[in-house]
Amino acid sequence: MRTGVRVALLAAWLLALAGLGWLVVQRLQASSDLRSFMPAPTTPDQRLLMEQVGEGPGSRLLLVALGGKPEATLAGLSRGLVARLSADPRYTQVVNGSFDLGTLDTRLLPYRYLLSPTLDRQPLDEAYLADQLQQRLDDLSSPAASLLEGLLPRDPTLETLALARRWAPPRAPRVREGVWFSPQGEALLLVQTRAAGFDPEAQRQAIAGIEQAFRALPGSAGATLVLSGPGYFSVVASAQTRTQADWIGRISTVGFVLLLLLAYRSVASLLLAALPVASGALAGIAALTLVYPQVHGITLAFGFTLLGVAQEYPIRVLSHRRAGEDAVRSVRDLWPLLLTAIASACIAYLAFYASGVNGLQQLAVFTITGLLAAGFSTRYLLPHLLPAHARDVAGMPWLVRARRFVDRLPRPRWIAPLVAVLAAVLLAIAPGRFWQNDLAALTPLPADLLQRDARLRAALGAPDVRYLLVIEAPTAQGVLERSERLEPQVDALVARGAADAIELPSRYLPSAATQRERQRRLPDRATLERALAQASAGLPFRPDLFAPFVADVEAARTLRPLTPQAFAASPLGQRLAAMLVRREGHWLGLGTVSGLRDVAALRALAQGSGGAVRLLDLKQASESLVAAYRTRILQALAGAALLLVLTISLSLRSLRRAWHVLAPMTLATFLVLAVERVAGVEISLFHLVALILAGGLGLHYALFFERDTGDPAEQRRTLHATLVCVLSALLVFGMLAWASIPVLRAIGLTVSLGVAFHFCLSILMAPHARDGHVVQE
Amino acid sequence: MLLCSLILSWSAAASSAPDATGELIAALGRPAPARTAFAEARFMQVLERPLVVSGELAWLGGDTLERHVTRPHEETARIAGGEVTQQRAGKSARSFSLERAPQLRVLVDSFVALLGGDAGRLRKAFAIARRGDAAGAWTLTLTPRDVDVARTVASIRIDGQGREARCMWMQEADGDVAVDLLGPLAARMPDAPTRESLATLCRGG
Repeated sequence: MRTGVRVALLAAWLLALAGLGWLVVQRLQASSDLRSFMPAPTTPDQRLLMEQVGEGPGSRLLLVALGGKPEATLAGLSRGLVARLSADPRYTQVVNGSFDLGTLDTRLLPYRYLLSPTLDRQPLDEAYLADQLQQRLDDLSSPAASLLEGLLPRDPTLETLALARRWAPPRAPRVREGVWFSPQGEALLLVQTRAAGFDPEAQRQAIAGIEQAFRALPGSAGATLVLSGPGYFSVVASAQTRTQADWIGRISTVGFVLLLLLAYRSVASLLLAALPVASGALAGIAALTLVYPQVHGITLAFGFTLLGVAQEYPIRVLSHRRAGEDAVRSVRDLWPLLLTAIASACIAYLAFYASGVNGLQQLAVFTITGLLAAGFSTRYLLPHLLPAHARDVAGMPWLVRARRFVDRLPRPRWIAPLVAVLAAVLLAIAPGRFWQNDLAALTPLPADLLQRDARLRAALGAPDVRYLLVIEAPTAQGVLERSERLEPQVDALVARGAADAIELPSRYLPSAATQRERQRRLPDRATLERALAQASAGLPFRPDLFAPFVADVEAARTLRPLTPQAFAASPLGQRLAAMLVRREGHWLGLGTVSGLRDVAALRALAQGSGGAVRLLDLKQASESLVAAYRTRILQALAGAALLLVLTISLSLRSLRRAWHVLAPMTLATFLVLAVERVAGVEISLFHLVALILAGGLGLHYALFFERDTGDPAEQRRTLHATLVCVLSALLVFGMLAWASIPVLRAIGLTVSLGVAFHFCLSILMAPHARDGHVVQE
Repeated sequence: MLLCSLILSWSAAASSAPDATGELIAALGRPAPARTAFAEARFMQVLERPLVVSGELAWLGGDTLERHVTRPHEETARIAGGEVTQQRAGKSARSFSLERAPQLRVLVDSFVALLGGDAGRLRKAFAIARRGDAAGAWTLTLTPRDVDVARTVASIRIDGQGREARCMWMQEADGDVAVDLLGPLAARMPDAPTRESLATLCRGG
């Protein structure tokens, strides 16, 4: 009968878990856009940063180099890759340097006289036409004749070529075999992805698409494909982090299982003890899928780490079982303290919710639901399933000796002020900056990747990702006009060598005013025909050959000026669309900078412009964003700390007892901070999250050590439970501390140090354990 | 036995024509660097009268060709490493890829193979037809095998006498023709050439 009920309960529990699992599989939509883990931007620069991080032209650009084969083969591969990728909706722009008039829509061809600056300097008069026609005649007798012959009737002044040159990348690489080549003999391409740059999952797919297309090309066997760019880096960084986290995770899981087997000598107990944590995890994800349309991948990764606290609940239950006593009774005695621990952890994690950052709010929903589910299933389900009789750990000789050792430790009252002073001194003398604001420093890229990026970027003349020139105006035309006025100054800067190239929106589309001005300069049909007749007198061109040219000029005279909207339909318009963006009620022009050498000169340009243009330093903006982010988390933590003091005091019904729990926890937390700072570690957001996790664990140690049951056996069981918890935490996070990736090391080191300090201080500062023990003896 | 000798003589007869072509091509070969005077008349759809230029053509070995024009303007074009570089008096050099000018690639292929006496290379790129007469005058007609190339260049015709090539005709698919008079014949380019007068010149008239 008893067994039957147990089996039924276990089956029901497993069934419930399966149901949750099904719900999760049905509803879970994971997202990997890092931006949902950033706080809402407050300044205009931060807002721009958030957009640029995802959608800016620089962040979506992938640099591609093909190598390992003769140039002719590589050029063929380069053309093949362009053909394949251009047809793929995942990429908005694929260029390899091959000149293609197709980039200018034929419907837009008459616009060439409005888009090119030639007419600003040079009227279409007889002298100009005569010179141009003579040059064309020379061209026709040269080897280049076949290139120009088709163009000649429509465009004898080669205005389309002038435009193509104007729109070519500011510092185009060398062209061999018709496509771009690096000095090292690699064929170069630029690919702009539709996916946001810092969405590693979408970028991974875009990169996989390029690799597949390349491998599918005939003749690609033996050739190499090399990629670079922000999107590629985000993929590399997340893959590296995942690989290392995975193998560390596997090792520590094995260690963890062995440790628990050693501690409890029961496979059944071990398997059952896994159920509360599994329930917590599943319930957490299920809650997320119900509350949020998309769940962030980082939420899950961090969430499982933070949920590690819940593993303590079943461990406490297992360690505190008394000989001959049924598990339900042991739990009942333990429950008030366990409930306090659960509530405290929930309050700490509530701080994430108060931060207002979407990703962290998800984290809070996940962990709080998970902790409650794990806690309550430990209380109300697990004990009914555990074997009726279990070994009482209190009788183990080594534990008796260990407890005696712990009890004999001196507990001087001055330990608290000593630790406080020590932490304060260490913090004061610590070298370097306190906060690490550069998130990229936590997932650093191998030096050779960065060198390769710099080399390809220089070869391709691709813009730097860090600086942008921002032009603001109420209308798109206003932006274009300001951009045009800026062009001479910018050209002067480039000529002076302040940068290799600066690209402004007006490079691709002049303002309507300028286009109308150029229209005004175009001759009417009669004038043009007269000039053309005079210019071609004595030259062997067929009469009427230039009729298409005359027709184009005539059409250009009455065209409505080209707008960004109309331009957007053509491939080059897409390029412009990335540089001219609409923001609530006004427009922004984004100028890109390549090969910047003199930041001060650009700053001076921005300052001298009277607000027409600003220099946006995306790195600085991101650091200010991180600082703002941290401030919010710290404020939320301060609130959570107050709540925690209240909760502990109320549940222990004594300020003095609350002090004995909270003081070691607080001191240990600051001691971890101090030790890391003295070791030269700059504190990042990941350190903060890890400190909170360690704090949650430390709170458990302090709560249980502080508990006075007046029973030495029970004190021994507490020590046993705490030792198992401490060792398992050290095992998992100590392994992470050896990781070579800073973000994993930051979490591992912080939690390991924290667990060690919390354990020592909560023993040394537990006031009356020895007294109780002595009395009982 | 009879059958066997019949087959042998058949195959000998079948291979005799290409052999003669091969011999002719081998005989046309010159050691690099090889230079020759040239005068070119281009008949183009866009022009009423042909364009005439003259100067020197040079094969510098490998795939490197140089076309040095002295009249009416100084201009040097050099084709090397898949690239064409043009240098005009008083202007900066311009270059473009050979990929973009199939006519030039055909020119390089045929010219280099002929001057190198390399019948194999010539046959790889072109279908070759040969006509000759008893007086030693001959005509080679090269038709590009590559379909893409044939779309722009219909054929190349070389007229010669004995071991000398006299003229080169490049017939483009759109009807344009470029006629190059080579060697001593270059000096005899008429002031107002027509296709007919050039054909007569090339036949040795």
